[in-house]
Amino acid sequence: MNPNDVQTAITNSLVQGGSQWLIATIVAFLPVLWTMALMLHLGRPYVLRTLRRCGLRLGADIWWMSYLLMRDALLLITFGLSWFFFEPNIVAGMALPITGSLAALFLLLSLAVKLSRRVDDDVNAYRLSTLFLVIGATLYYGPLVFAVEANSQSYLSGFTAAFTSSSNVTVALVLMWISLAGVALVAAWLFVRALMSANRSMGRRLKKEKTEVVIGATGGGE
Amino acid sequence: MNVDTLTHAIVSGMNAGLEQFLEGTLAAMLPVIWLALLGLHLGRPYILDMIDRFTLRLGADLLWLIYIALRDILIISGVVMSFMFLFPDVVSTDQLPLTGGFAAVLLFAVLLIKLMGDPDHNLRDFRLVTWLLAVGALFYFVPYLFGVMFNQVATGQLLAVSQFLVSNTNATWAVAIGYITTALFAIMGAIAVGYVLMTGGRAEVPETTSK
Repeated sequence: MNPNDVQTAITNSLVQGGSQWLIATIVAFLPVLWTMALMLHLGRPYVLRTLRRCGLRLGADIWWMSYLLMRDALLLITFGLSWFFFEPNIVAGMALPITGSLAALFLLLSLAVKLSRRVDDDVNAYRLSTLFLVIGATLYYGPLVFAVEANSQSYLSGFTAAFTSSSNVTVALVLMWISLAGVALVAAWLFVRALMSANRSMGRRLKKEKTEVVIGATGGGE
Repeated sequence: MNVDTLTHAIVSGMNAGLEQFLEGTLAAMLPVIWLALLGLHLGRPYILDMIDRFTLRLGADLLWLIYIALRDILIISGVVMSFMFLFPDVVSTDQLPLTGGFAAVLLFAVLLIKLMGDPDHNLRDFRLVTWLLAVGALFYFVPYLFGVMFNQVATGQLLAVSQFLVSNTNATWAVAIGYITTALFAIMGAIAVGYVLMTGGRAEVPETTSK
């Protein structure tokens, strides 16, 4: 082996290793985000109790806004970072929780409930959003703890092989495509809904402005 | 050895090394988080005393909100960063405090009490939270200090004790504790979800004024 070979090997390692390291770090960081998102979502009663005790409206508003921003931004970031569960090469090549893509779909469903209904005012909508979130988290944590991070436990080898994406590629890819179809459907529904809502609200405003102009013109004429 | 073999070896080395570095950094940060959250929790009388001296209600509100936000975010961070104690591969490879998982469970129990009770206004809940934090800190600091940070200088019986308190030199116990921790997390998580589903996310605990 000559210096050129070693140089090629190091270059290849940095490129491949860097990419694998980045993905592995995100995978390792996702449980953190999932847990934070769950805690903030479930901690709503505590946040409301604290809010009730604020003497001034300003303090209460700052507290509530900070809570909402952190909670919802965490959900969105977690979904964004879960995107690599929908990339076939990565799902087949790396040891990921096999139901990671389904977990991401349930996270999106929880976000969709938040976008389409007033979760902070409607108790049933809040419950639905919580259920989606908890199902998603369970689908993520289960295979992560007992399969991906339990390679050293021989008595879990069957579970590890079945629930790790790289050792059960066929099932992992089937779940991935099903979840991707689900994500596409939810995204399309959200897109259409946003468009219709904008048309409705902007149309109403334009109509109102038009009426005002007409009244103004009529009034001016008199 | 050819280029592919060398590349593969370097990639494996990089990934394993960087993973252990990340986990080691988290483990090194955890004592700092534990100390800070204990300091903030125990510093409550000082904060309340300061609030009484404020002449403007806005300042008092902001101080109190910043205090509880910092304190509770630190508790949440402690639980989240302790997640590695649930992973059998991690506890059997890395040098971690043997009972770190139990410490995380107690931190999670504190959050559960904050969710279902009212430790800032109910004396019984406050005492319970304080006890849980104290026992949790013992579960973390005793094996950390006398195990992870002592095993290179300890000799004889002390070395045996020290090795017993470190997860990778006592992997059977560490993995078993990991499973118990996972089960306790699951039970308490289910209780939290059940409570939130029942209340629909509303603040249900009645107001009390005793401090």
